[in-house]
Amino acid sequence: MNRRKFLGLGVMAVAAMPATLSAISAIDFRATKPDTWTAHSVDDAIKALYGDIKPAEEGITVKLPKVASNGGAVPLTVKSDLKAKTVAVFQNMNPESAVAVFNVPEDGIIDYFLKIKLKGTDENGGNGIITVIVEGTDGKFYKGTQALQVAKGGCEG
Amino acid sequence: MANMKIKAKLKGDVVGAKVLAKHDMLTYDQAKAKGVEANFITHISAKVGDKVVYDVSTSQFWSKNPQFKFKFKGAKKGDELTITWTDLSGKSVTESKKIK
Repeated sequence: MNRRKFLGLGVMAVAAMPATLSAISAIDFRATKPDTWTAHSVDDAIKALYGDIKPAEEGITVKLPKVASNGGAVPLTVKSDLKAKTVAVFQNMNPESAVAVFNVPEDGIIDYFLKIKLKGTDENGGNGIITVIVEGTDGKFYKGTQALQVAKGGCEG
Repeated sequence: MANMKIKAKLKGDVVGAKVLAKHDMLTYDQAKAKGVEANFITHISAKVGDKVVYDVSTSQFWSKNPQFKFKFKGAKKGDELTITWTDLSGKSVTESKKIK
């Protein structure tokens, strides 16, 4: 991304905030945590977003096809009964690793479905892994992972 | 109408929403290959009245014409679900649909 545009975006987001802040609690993680979106590894992206955390591997269901026939639109479902503040989705196949950061509203239901683009394999030719981190309202972190194979990559164009 | 398709249905006390947004979602790599600027949706949020029910910052790795679903409580039949997305170029699109 070119730097000027990125900064401009941040300014816009800040400018837009006062109008919305009173009524809603929308958070633009692209503006508040810019490093998350440019990090190339899952670990770096998590660090940029949450800092040094030691998530417990429980409480999250990540649903994916074992083998995705079309990397251009891989269906992904994230479910959890945890009381959460935020939910973040990462993968290890594309040039950057962050996919989405959800800001969970109060009493929000974590049952998200989305379709994502994935390159065939990670940099070592291994399987792809989707990592989901949930930041609980209790201040603890939780992690869920799921591996998959992609038959045909979706990022080449 | 042209930019988004929204379906929202109440079941018990939970609303299930299904959305299809029309957007190329060009990644940096794809845009480079085509010789154009990358552009993708960077933020999506949904509201009922003034209450946020869905709020997500997104990356270029959502699929082309991204589809997504979510669930929430606290709305009733006939309420308007309003969804707004913003992309990297600063374009913003808002559409609403009554909950069935």
